[in-house]
Amino acid sequence: MSVPGFHRPKSVEDAARLLAETDGARCLSGGATLVAMMNASLAEPKAIVSLAGIPELAGIAELANGGFRIGAMTRHAATAGDARLAGTLAVLRDAARQIANPVVRNMGTIGGSIGFADPAADYPPALVAANAEVEIANAAGRRRVAARDFFVDWYTTACGPGEFVTGVYLPPPRPGAGLYKKLARVSGDFAIASVALSAAKDANGVSIRIAVGGCGPRPIRADAADALLSAKFGDAAAAAAAGEALAAAADPVDDVRASAEYRRLVIPRLVAETVAHARAALEAR
Amino acid sequence: MTLALSINGRIRQVQAGLSDTLLTVLRDQLLLTAAKRGCNQGVCGACTVLIDGRPQRACLSLAANCEGAAITTLEGLQRDASMARLQKAFAATGAVQCGFCTPGVLVSAHALLSHNADPRTDEIRAGLSGNLCRCSGYRKIVDAVAEAAKEAKP
Ligand SMILES: Cc1cc2nc3c(=O)[nH]c(=O)nc-3n(C[C@H](O)[C@H](O)[C@H](O)COP(=O)(O)OP(=O)(O)OC[C@H]3O[C@@H](n4cnc5c(N)ncnc54)[C@H](O)[C@@H]3O)c2cc1C
Ligand code: FES
Ligand code: FES
Repeated sequence: MSVPGFHRPKSVEDAARLLAETDGARCLSGGATLVAMMNASLAEPKAIVSLAGIPELAGIAELANGGFRIGAMTRHAATAGDARLAGTLAVLRDAARQIANPVVRNMGTIGGSIGFADPAADYPPALVAANAEVEIANAAGRRRVAARDFFVDWYTTACGPGEFVTGVYLPPPRPGAGLYKKLARVSGDFAIASVALSAAKDANGVSIRIAVGGCGPRPIRADAADALLSAKFGDAAAAAAAGEALAAAADPVDDVRASAEYRRLVIPRLVAETVAHARAALEAR
Repeated sequence: MTLALSINGRIRQVQAGLSDTLLTVLRDQLLLTAAKRGCNQGVCGACTVLIDGRPQRACLSLAANCEGAAITTLEGLQRDASMARLQKAFAATGAVQCGFCTPGVLVSAHALLSHNADPRTDEIRAGLSGNLCRCSGYRKIVDAVAEAAKEAKP
């Protein structure tokens, strides 16, 4: 029994204590990134704290206010398959089902994905568009951070040393639409660029939250884009102006998938396409 | 250090350090070599095995984290009726060329058919999208899975 340096605590408190006390420890969720890095000698953790044995981190629970808590260890496949994430929250399901392929979706977790904070990952913009909050634990307790403040920089989050993600809180779903458009070289690859959009619709009109992925150190958003789209949803000129506002806020780089210039050009088109699809989805309701 | 892993219904004692993966233990210690080491990065799917009934990457699973899980490799599905139909269809259709990807593809196909007995072509393609084949161009693999599903119908 038990490999030296390997820990599998049964509670969040024990995991936080182990991470704080153990020199060079990293937490392990699905392993789809951490173990790949270890195999490539890009990471050599001295100790590993597996989150797999902590019951409260598993699964999606409905809250008293009608919102949801997605435990950090919830696999992408479970999020993609949960029909309760409807209306505005469908943006998260739509993102989850486009991550990688079925086998990776059986392994990867929401906590591991956002804790690693690859800017090309699919959850970060979707969580911003869903107006989610991220719960973070440390040895002293827990706190919550809005998704838009959680992602700080390339591969950098609001988690400090010894801290880890325990879950994601979603507000109650509102009637409307939520969708995620991903532009990738082949289906299942990381995004060149992506757009996450939630559209709440009621008697007072439409309220939009939009965020762009893969085009900067963190999910790109712009108050002007949300305001333009909310005021005139479905208006082509408003969609174009919102696309330009997001492209201006983006900070893309050249990488193997595409150049920065290509990304700036493609954002307004992807925004226009996403808005058109969201409008069709609202009309079909 | 010694670990006790449940593999193909038997408890096996293996030696593993912190960074050893399930794939290393399967291939190098237990000589269960159906699961292949292609990329060791989670990309190719040649190492796909079932962990608690779901297809996952053996190369991305730390051996130490697998204690308590039920692991099934292709070897463990030898007497499974659905796998037998798949094997027959793969041979008959010419879906195997060099064969390197085949064990992983079979595990994914088996999982697909256990959830969806009558998949459409696009569902087969999506179900196998985590398995790369450098030889076949996929067409005959997709045909073989459709053929196996057809064979299963009463
Ligand atoms: C072939 C392949 C294709 C992929 N394609 C996509 C894709 O198209 N889109 C996409 O979005 N993702 C993609 N991914 C990423 C994958 O879906 C997972 O999100 C990713 O591997 C991280 O999740 P994990 O649970 O595996 O984390 P792990 O590998 O366990 O951990 C990743 C990192 O985060 C840290 N960490 C783990 N858990 C937490 C936590 N709770 N709090 C804070 N930090 C934590 C770890 O210490 C480690 O540094 C792909 C991965 C692979 C292997
Ligand atoms: S060897 Fe595991 S996915 Fe390629
Ligand atoms: S048959 Fe050669 S890789 Fe698939």
